[in-house]
Amino acid sequence: MERRITIVNQLAQLDELAAAIEAISEEWDIPMSLGMNLNLVLEELVTNIIFYGYVDTNEHKIIIDLSRDNSIFRMQIEDDAKEFNPLLMAEPNIENSIEDRKIGGLGIFFVRKIMDTMTYERVDNKNILTMTKTIE
Amino acid sequence: MEVTDTKKGNFLVINLSGRLDTSNYGELEKKLIGFIDAGEKEIAVDCSGLIYISSSGLRVLLMALKKITSAGGKFHLCCLQDNIREIFEIAGFTSIFRVFDTLDEAIK
Repeated sequence: MERRITIVNQLAQLDELAAAIEAISEEWDIPMSLGMNLNLVLEELVTNIIFYGYVDTNEHKIIIDLSRDNSIFRMQIEDDAKEFNPLLMAEPNIENSIEDRKIGGLGIFFVRKIMDTMTYERVDNKNILTMTKTIE
Repeated sequence: MEVTDTKKGNFLVINLSGRLDTSNYGELEKKLIGFIDAGEKEIAVDCSGLIYISSSGLRVLLMALKKITSAGGKFHLCCLQDNIREIFEIAGFTSIFRVFDTLDEAIK
C-alpha cells in the first residue's frame, strides 16, 4: 500500500492533509488513535517547513510519501526548504514549572516520541525525512 | 473548532470542540486573551468535544495558564478524551495543568 500526497507551502493545506490521513488510515486499517498521532506528526513537520523553511515567498511543493508494509508504516517528507535536520534539535525540558516552561520545541518532540525511527538526509538541496512506526 | 462560553458560578466555562491546530489556534488565543484582560480570574476549559490538538493548540493553553496564574487566577481543564490526554502526557502538561475528570470537579 502506497500513496503520495503533494501539497504546497500554505497552511490552508493542513485541512486537506488531515482529511487525506483520515481516509488512508481507514483504508489501510490503521487504528484511529494512531491515525490521529500520524496526523499530528505531519502537521508539526509541515507547519515547521511552512513557517521557517523558506527565504522567498514563492510557491514550493512538499511531497509526502506514505506506505504500509505489513506492520510497518512508513512516512517520508521531501521539501526544498532550507536545510533543517530535526534530529539535531534539543529536546524541550518538560519537567520545568509553569513559569519556566518554554512555549516552543514541542512539535518536533512529539514527532520523536510518536515515531519509532527517523532518518534525515540532505540530497540535491532537498530535506528528506523518513520515519517509520510499527502498527500494533 | 467551535468555542462557546458560559458563566457557572465564579467560573467562566469554555467549551472546546473539534480540532485545535495550526489553522485555528489564533482564534482561541484571541478569545482567551480577551477574557483574561477583561478580568476573568477563574476559567475552566471543557475539552469533552475536543478530538485533536497539536503543539500550536497546546501553546495557546500554556500561554493562558501562565497569564492567568501570574494574575492570581485559576485555569482548569476537564474531560480530556484519551488521545488528547496522551498528547498532554507526552508534553508533560498533566503535571503543570490542573486536569479534572468532570466539569463539576473543575469548577468547584
